[in-house]
Amino acid sequence: MANIRNRIRRLRFDHDEMTQEELANLAGCTRQTIIALEQGKYVPSIELAFKIARAFGVSLEEVFQYEE
Amino acid sequence: MATLQKRALYGLVFGVVWAAAMAAVFFVKGGASAFDEDRGFRLIIDGLWIGGLVLYLALFTTIMRRPTKFDERDRTIMDRSARVQWLAVILSLVAWIVGLSEGYHSEGQIPVVFLYLIFISTLVVSSVAQCTGILIGYWRMNRNG
Repeated sequence: MANIRNRIRRLRFDHDEMTQEELANLAGCTRQTIIALEQGKYVPSIELAFKIARAFGVSLEEVFQYEE
Repeated sequence: MATLQKRALYGLVFGVVWAAAMAAVFFVKGGASAFDEDRGFRLIIDGLWIGGLVLYLALFTTIMRRPTKFDERDRTIMDRSARVQWLAVILSLVAWIVGLSEGYHSEGQIPVVFLYLIFISTLVVSSVAQCTGILIGYWRMNRNG
């Protein structure tokens, strides 16, 4: 698994406790994928990463961080 | 449980029942020699494999265009399931070739009807293996990421 961390759970909390279902609908993916992302068990494509960042209205790097 | 995962589970159960039904009809009706001679028997088996294939395809194609049901993660798992499918098909073909070669070695020729049976069995093995591959894919992704 690549060393890519994300702040999706935190960002959902900061956005009026947005549900996983709501985020999935905004990003165009399934709720199971959001769960897998939050658990660090899936690394999204660039496209999905951008869609998630756009759903929160933040830049990509505010959601995903690469750790060497 | 993801929608594709559920469908794969249903597909696996359906595939096993489908294979068992075809095998039961095949042996109850008299096996390979009866299959070769009886047109009605061949039509029953044709109906079973075509009907099963249509139902199997419907099981997966009905969700693949719905982003809230099927996304890139599901597609990755589905693509990876082809490895299990490929291995299962190769193993089943090896079993057929070894079995038929050994069984008909003294006669020097294999009855044509077995070509048809190889095709049907490959179809069933491929379908069941795809479902198994999808379920393994989810299990591995949930365990290792």
